[in-house]
Amino acid sequence: MKKIKTMVMGIAAVAMTTTLHAEPLKVGYSDWPGWVAWEIGVQKGWFKEAGVEVDFVWMDYVASMEAYGAGQLDAVCMTNGDALVTGATAKPSVAIVLNDYSNGNDILVGTKDIKDVKDLKGKKVALEEGFVPHLLTLKALEAHGMSESDIEIVNTPTDETPQVLKSGKVAAICAWQPNSGTALKEVAGSKVLFSSANAPGIIYDGLFVSPESLQKNRAEWLKVVKVWYQIVEYLKDEENHEESLDILAQRVGMKPDAYEPLLDGTFILSLEQALAAYQPGEGLSSVYGSSKISDDFNVKYKVYESAQDISKYFDASLTAELAK
Amino acid sequence: MRNWFKVAAPLGDMSARVLVMCSFLIPLVLWCVVSYAPFLWERDYRLTIVSAPSDTQAFPATYLAGDVVSDDYFHDYQQAIRDDNAALAEMRESSAKDFGMSERSARSYNKKILRSFVPVAEENGWFNVRIKDQLSSKDYYREMYATMFRLWGQLDSGELQVADGTLSDENLQLIKTNYQLLNQVADNYDANKFLSEPMFQLVPQGRLKVARPVYIPAPDEVFNSAWADFTNQSELGDLQVASRYRSSISVVFSGFLLAALIGVPIALLAGTFTFLSKLIEPFVDFFRYMPAPAFSTVLIAVFGLAQAPKVALVVIGTLPHLILMVANTTRTVDRSLLDAAQTLGASRLQVIKDVVIPAILPSLYNDLRILLGWAWTWLVIAELIGMKSGLTEIIDTQGRRFQFDHVYPIIFLIGLTGFFVDQILSGVRVVFFPWIVDEKSGPIAQIVRLPARFVAWLTEGRLEPEINTKAI
Repeated sequence: MKKIKTMVMGIAAVAMTTTLHAEPLKVGYSDWPGWVAWEIGVQKGWFKEAGVEVDFVWMDYVASMEAYGAGQLDAVCMTNGDALVTGATAKPSVAIVLNDYSNGNDILVGTKDIKDVKDLKGKKVALEEGFVPHLLTLKALEAHGMSESDIEIVNTPTDETPQVLKSGKVAAICAWQPNSGTALKEVAGSKVLFSSANAPGIIYDGLFVSPESLQKNRAEWLKVVKVWYQIVEYLKDEENHEESLDILAQRVGMKPDAYEPLLDGTFILSLEQALAAYQPGEGLSSVYGSSKISDDFNVKYKVYESAQDISKYFDASLTAELAK
Repeated sequence: MRNWFKVAAPLGDMSARVLVMCSFLIPLVLWCVVSYAPFLWERDYRLTIVSAPSDTQAFPATYLAGDVVSDDYFHDYQQAIRDDNAALAEMRESSAKDFGMSERSARSYNKKILRSFVPVAEENGWFNVRIKDQLSSKDYYREMYATMFRLWGQLDSGELQVADGTLSDENLQLIKTNYQLLNQVADNYDANKFLSEPMFQLVPQGRLKVARPVYIPAPDEVFNSAWADFTNQSELGDLQVASRYRSSISVVFSGFLLAALIGVPIALLAGTFTFLSKLIEPFVDFFRYMPAPAFSTVLIAVFGLAQAPKVALVVIGTLPHLILMVANTTRTVDRSLLDAAQTLGASRLQVIKDVVIPAILPSLYNDLRILLGWAWTWLVIAELIGMKSGLTEIIDTQGRRFQFDHVYPIIFLIGLTGFFVDQILSGVRVVFFPWIVDEKSGPIAQIVRLPARFVAWLTEGRLEPEINTKAI
């Protein structure tokens, strides 16, 4: 009996070792160029250099938000709109880094027969409801004097949209890269109907930290923010172009040349640009204005019940401290 | 022919073996026919030189060398680049010299054009991208650009000749023009002194090939990708197949062992005592219809993100079946044995320990073997929850990008592992339980049995282990 007991404990121990000594900051990151860029800091050992222990956990985007909501992560990489959703439905968070805004990577892709957004009237569009592509699609419809009732939405996980478009069952899909790029490539004659480049700033991407962790480990998080701007500086240097593509592409299992357009569709914010975006204001040049649009959208489409206090989601103080 | 379909008639050894081979060969042959038969499909172009047309509205996708495009698209694609080049030539002629891009973008644009020549250089044996394994990323690109620059110079002077069919005359002319431009700035590649106005893009080139749907890669493509992926030479970077393989195996086996450790004692008791059977089995029977993956979010909340929730999923998926199956097996113990033992004064513990367990051991072994196969089927779902891990990460990410030549090898690897483990376990069964007469014994079972047979032959001069009648 005793033997069995030790065996059970042994197996249980093996299965759980990784969860037991989980002291470093745990950050969930996923397949978006502005977040994959953290990998540069990981590969170059800059976090260790800065004296901060961070575990970057590579996950699916939606799974990472779920894990954050379940309290398994100290921070997660999200868009401003999804942070509001996660905050309203699971767990609030606060953005201490604004990595970038989407500048063409989120794309409404139409099949060959669709000439422009207007042609989508009465047609099926596959997208993940309540997420960024939904918002972008509505923005596209609005820009063409249409509304959601003009199309039929087929709720589809974003990473499955390329297959759905290829199946020919829908007229268009909306997805972020690399899914949108895969769709453009695999479906002959498919084209860009509308993209985040048509509404830059509608989607900001950031590092959203749990308020408790930020309060408890502010000094540590400050080091993380510092490493981020080290990464930004590295990315902006022409000389590092190929190497950064190598690192990013390797993380997501793509060829570096295929990754280039993805990085181009992401506007990485410099320290000054991030601080400017942190300024409260109307319109898409401020993350507040952008989030207000998301918030209205989320309430209107009953993603959650009541409007969120947007100011609680953004903390520019760490970035501002670095600028000094 | 008539003999083939005799109802339940046994087959000769030889024909049985041939049929076993055929059962594997037929799917393989079908795959080859579907892949290689030209009459089934149209013809497409596999690109060897790629460029990026400026009209991103009409050409939104990024193509890489090795990608396949349709006939129509290929010609439009070529034309788009020719148009772009013509427009560029016009801009160069005009006095304004406004190319519509910054110097930095122009440099990056030009480097891309140099890069587009790499596949041609490789095909001619002038360059090997594998040197990337030995060099740092920075050194590799410096070396690569320098080599392309030098090769263009040698092509321009006529020092080098390209092999037939690797470079069109049109592109050779473009290269010569480009080299003149590059050469005006510097004699050799120098990142700090590099042409800052755009040069001509090479016109896309490709080879005709049989067009297949992307989800049917040819066996040779799959084999080549498998070889590259498994030996760390993949074009997708280091896929870490070996460590992922270990991780996947550990998920399956930890989950299975944990399920067995929990389930077998429960099942033994439920199978022996009707009281426990009625208390436990109805709920387990109900539980097994609940889809295990539905618990994934709960498992993450409870067990965190590492391997633990995955192992737990395998346990949840396997345990109910294990309990029901083993309990049923336990009930097959000959009643008269139980009665006899009890008449002879055996206590309940002794009945379980000395009668039930020895009696069902061979069947229990078999049940567990089948359940291990069951555990394998949960692997992919388990590895998708929380943090994607193991072999599944490759299957999932590459599948979504339609890189099926990288997906199939991994699926085969999982299938083969499951199959061989099962064959070995079923072979070893005879060694553990020699009193069970097993009629079907595959080649692996025979190999596994060899040591036992050898020992038997050495010690007793017989070829089969002695049938142990004392055991029952």
